[in-house]
Formats: sequence, C-alpha cells, structure tokens
Amino acid sequence: MRNKELSFWLFITPVVLSLSLVVILPVFLGFFYSFTDWNGLTFNQFIGFTHYRRLLDDNQFRQSLWFTFRFAFVSIIVLNVIGLSLAMLVTSQLKSRNILRTIFFMPNLIGGLILGFIWQFIFIRVFSALGDFTGIQGLMGWLSTPATGFWGLVILTVWQQAGYIMIIYIAYLQGIPKSLIESANIDGASPFQKFKYIIFPLIAPGFTVSMFLTLSSSFKIYDQNLSLTGGGPYNSTQMVAMNIVDTAFSSNQMAYGQSKAVIFFIIVATFSLSQVYYSKKREVDL
Amino acid sequence: MSTRHYFYKGIVLLSAAGLLAACGNEGDIPGTDGGTDTGTDNDNGGNGDDVSLAIMQGKVEFNAQFNELAEMYMDENPNVSIEITSVGGGTDYFTQLTTRFGAGDEPDIFSVAGPNEMEQMADYMADLSDTDAAGAALDGMLDTVTDDDGSISALPYNIEGYGFIYNREIFEEAGIDPEAISTYEDLEEAVQTIDSQLDELDIQAVFALPGAEGWVMGDHLANVFLAHEFNEDVNEAYNAETLEFERGDEFQRMLDLQADYSMEPVLSLDYSQQVEEYFSLGQVAIIQQGNWVYPTLEQMDPEFAENGVGMMPIPLDGHEGQLPVGIPNYWAVNDNNDDATVQAAKDFLDWMYLSDEGKEFVINEFNFIPAYEGYEDMEIGDPLSQVVYDYSQSGETIGWIFNGYPTGYTNNEFGPNLQAYLGGEMTWDEMIDNSIAGWESLQ
Repeated sequence: MRNKELSFWLFITPVVLSLSLVVILPVFLGFFYSFTDWNGLTFNQFIGFTHYRRLLDDNQFRQSLWFTFRFAFVSIIVLNVIGLSLAMLVTSQLKSRNILRTIFFMPNLIGGLILGFIWQFIFIRVFSALGDFTGIQGLMGWLSTPATGFWGLVILTVWQQAGYIMIIYIAYLQGIPKSLIESANIDGASPFQKFKYIIFPLIAPGFTVSMFLTLSSSFKIYDQNLSLTGGGPYNSTQMVAMNIVDTAFSSNQMAYGQSKAVIFFIIVATFSLSQVYYSKKREVDL
Repeated sequence: MSTRHYFYKGIVLLSAAGLLAACGNEGDIPGTDGGTDTGTDNDNGGNGDDVSLAIMQGKVEFNAQFNELAEMYMDENPNVSIEITSVGGGTDYFTQLTTRFGAGDEPDIFSVAGPNEMEQMADYMADLSDTDAAGAALDGMLDTVTDDDGSISALPYNIEGYGFIYNREIFEEAGIDPEAISTYEDLEEAVQTIDSQLDELDIQAVFALPGAEGWVMGDHLANVFLAHEFNEDVNEAYNAETLEFERGDEFQRMLDLQADYSMEPVLSLDYSQQVEEYFSLGQVAIIQQGNWVYPTLEQMDPEFAENGVGMMPIPLDGHEGQLPVGIPNYWAVNDNNDDATVQAAKDFLDWMYLSDEGKEFVINEFNFIPAYEGYEDMEIGDPLSQVVYDYSQSGETIGWIFNGYPTGYTNNEFGPNLQAYLGGEMTWDEMIDNSIAGWESLQ
C-alpha cells in the first residue's frame, strides 16, 4: 500500500466492492446463519452450537468427508504426475508436440456436468460392451459399486484437469535456462540426474501453483460428482459439496447445511494455506 | 411424480453452475438455462366488476395449454383477466411462492403439493367446500384436504397412478395371461416362466429395476407396503413420529423379486434406461412405473405405446388388485382477498373441471386423468391413464402416503439404505433399523 493516490483507490474500488458483495459478505452471513435456525427466508432464534454438535454424530457427513479426503489425495498425486509427464512430453523434441498440447488441453474446455454424463456412458455402456467382448469381468458393472465409483471419479477428474496442469508445468519447464541443461550435458549427467537435480528444483514454484489448484479443486468437486454417480450407490460416492447441497436444498435444512459449509470452508482453507506455506519454503530462486 | 424429479435435477444443475462460478474455478461454466418461466402479475386495476386473477402454479409441463385455457375463459368472461405464472416444480416453486407471499404480491390461486406445503400455507387457503368441483370430486379424492369441520382447503389437479407396466406381446408369447395375476405367488410364477424362456422371447431380463433412482423404490414401491400402516392417510404419515415396517417382509420379497430378475447392474440403472432403453425397446417384460411414462413410450414407438402395454397392480397380501393412485398437486384459493376475487377464482376452477370446454381441455390438452365426476363418457387420453382412471373409479386403490415422508427422507435416508441393501452393504434388518432411525431424526 505504498501508493495512496486517489487514482489507486478509484481503480480498486470496483473489485473491492464486488468482491465484498459476492464473497466476503456472504461468508460472514454464512457464519452468522450457521448459529441460527435459518430456513432460507427467516430465522427465529440463535441456537448456538447446536448444529455443530449435531455434525459430530452425522455419519453421512463424516463418510463424505472421508471419501473426499481419499479422492483428493489420490487425484492430487495422479494429476500432478500425469500433468508433469505430459508437460515433459510436449516440451521434448516430438514433431507432434503442438497438436498434442491442444489435444491434451481440450477436455478442460468441456463443462464438468457434460463430461460426467459422457463418462457415465463410457463407464456403463462402453465398458460393459468391452467386458462382454473380451470376457474381462473387471469392466462390468462400473459405477454400481463404491470402488468403481471412486475410480470413475478419479479417472474423470484426471482426464479433465491434467491438460490444465500440463500448461502450468510447460510454462515453468520453458523457463529453465538452456545453459543449465547444456552444462549438465557437458558434465555427462544422465536424463534422470538432470531431472532430479536441475529440472525438479527449478519447477518447484510450478508445484506450488499446481498443488494449490488441484487440492482446492479436488476438494470442491461437485458437478462431476453429480452427473457421474449422483452420490450413488447408496451415497457412498457423495462428496462433501454434494452432501451440503443435499442437506440445504433437498432436506431443506438450510442452517444445518450452512454449518457443514463452514466446517468445510475451514478444512479446505487450512489445507490449502498450509500447503502453499510449505511448498513456498521449498522453492529455490535462480 | 417423475416430473418433480426432473425439475429437482434442473435446480441442482443450476446450483452447480452457480457454485462453480462462485468458486472462481479454472473450469468453464456449463451454460444452463433456467427451467422456470416466471412473470409478474400485473394488476389491471379495472373498475366495476372487473376481476383480475393471478395464478401461480408448480406444474410447468402444461403451462402452454393452461394459458390457452385461460384465454378461452377470458374470451367468455370479458370482465376477468388471468395472469399465469408457472414455475418448475419441487423446492424451487414453493420457495418462490413463499417469497411472493412474503413480498405481499400474493397470487389469487396457487398450487400446493403434499401436507408439508399445505401446513405452511394453511392460513391462506380459502374453504372450497361450496364449489361445484368439490361436490363433483370422486370418492376419497378430498380426504386429505377435508378438515374436521367439513371445510375443504384444496382441489385436486388430477390423478396419477403406478404399478407394473408390462409388455403385452411378451406375456402372450410366454403364454401368460396378465389379467390372471393377482397374488404375489401368481406374479412370481409368471416371472419365473418368463425367465425360463428369455432366449425364446428374445429379451434380456424380466424386470428393469432402476436401483439408481431412490424414488422408484423408496417412494413408489415402499408406499404399497407402508400405506396401510398409516391407514392410507398421507396426513397420518406426515404427523407420524416413527414407522414400523409392519409389512417389511413382503416389501423385501417384492424388492428381491425385482432385483433378482432385473437387468444388471441394478445400482447404476436409471429411469431413462429403464423406460426408454429396456422397456420401450422390448428388452424387458415388466417395469414398475406409472402412467407418466406414456409420452416417453409414445415418442419411442407410438404403435407399441398404443397397443402393446398394460398396467397391473403390485400385489399386496390381502389387498390384491389395488392400484396405488394419488394426487400430485392441489389448487388452493387465496383467502386473504375480497369476496369477489375469491368467488371469481372458485368460478374459474369450477369452469375448468366441469364445463364442457374445460373438460375437453383437461382430457385432451392437459392429458390429465380427472379426479372428478362427469368424465365417464369421455375417452381418456392413453391406455395407461385409462387403467388408472378405471381403478380410481372402482375404488380399488391404495392411497399415496409418500408425500407425507419427512422432507428429504427418500433422497438422503431411505433411498440410499435400500441401495445399500441391494449392494449387499446392509442386511434387510439393518436397512429397516436405519430407515426407522432416519425417519425419527428428520421428523
């Protein structure tokens, strides 16, 4: 805030105003409502921590949280590994690298809902047709068990987002000075050594960014979840976002759903911020 | 009922788009258009005997036809002007209705569905017992809206009913007379007969049980076995602190029968697969659905829909031959109004259901199964609706009580429990215990 000129404040006013109206104010209102018996229109009284105490016994919410954690853990790893691999591939000397970049990025341009329905078709119809044809039992009955629902969601998310993560890594890979690689070549470093001692440390800021993006997006996934499995079978693949929406809008327990959202907000914020903090410490400057 | 679920999905999709936008995600926002059709009611503020009626209702599928009907009425009665607002069903409609009441912009006629909504609107619902339509309502159609003092708070839109819809041709080829099936044992035998000749009949399975749809099992199938526990009274279910599953064994038997002889995998099978893919293309012999599937069947194969399908009741010991028939929506007239407007609203409802032009429209344009007398000589729109109408005429019905479930019960408790049972995650007893506990916690 070194610049205190009028123009500075004028320029940021629209952003500050809209941000407070659509983000900051609703967050505080949300906190507030979670302590009341709000029904979406009016509230009659403050009920303190009643909703939060009830949360402790809510098996479905706990199960959704656990499912979301597992999902986030697996998809963050798979997404970053695949994103980085794709980035290495398309920054190599391949002739088709430009067209590959476009192809890998393309799934990201399709909305999550539509992707969910497309993959639902693939998992249910195409997989079972392939299973019929080849006799592989593992391809039958996808999305009808919790395990296949889980992996179905992971595959869908990775397929959709890997291209985006790839773009981030490409930016950092291209930022590595050619001279460093060249001197490593002269010193006779193997490809693995080059990756471990030069490339990897230099793209650490890319990790920070990608980890942050994949972490927060994996936690908050809703539309893919809704259209692919709808939480089924028996709500075993219901993630937290969906659990909150169901509580608020289908069971009509607005304030209770709001208290779930508050807890969820705290969890996601804690994870994201601590991840950024620790990743930042590992970054090296040139 | 199926429509309610489509609109519910629509609402959720909309919220999904909103959520995504709010998160400022890297993903792009899918372009979803609202399924609602709202308008503001403008008061013409006429003079003399002029009346303006603002109607707000939650069945958006027949909005166009309903508006046409209103035009006809206005042509006949130049002093009346009608403004219709139709909002896509479920939560969305009711929220908008209460908002309008809260804002003082109250509609003169509005729709309500189920005891929960009626209780919330009770103060605004005028007594309709003096209307001709109330007098003409079929037996039992007003039971749930009649108070102890004889006042009637709402009038039914129409009737819907469900059961086992079967493929006539397959039954014929298998040598089974669907009319002769009345008990569970009859049904089981027929199912086994069909199952033993799947190849000859060139079908894939007897049933298509949509395990992904909690409402098909939790609302519709369960209703058959729970209705008598609440004396077929939706209000009794609405007020019940708990439920017993007195006929749980029969319920299990019927669910197992459908699941055992169903297309696999049951748990990811959904409504559209059940109706469009498997049944209308002749891959299964029986589905458990209601008369609302008719337009879908007709779209897929008009010939088959017209002549090839029938509906039979879901057998219940001691109540064989009774079809679950109910009323998804009711009309209510706003009491917080001057007498002239209330009377004009009543006149309009009477005209809609009892005048010759109105009846014609109700049957042929709305495709309603009427809940009123005076339609005996008219041709009901389609064979499935005809079956439902016949049962409701003869009184061989089972009342709908699932509208009295606690809010969200099927979606969040009962449906998932049934799915867990089908998936082998829960035993039947655990399913029962969890569903009872779920009811008590939501009630």
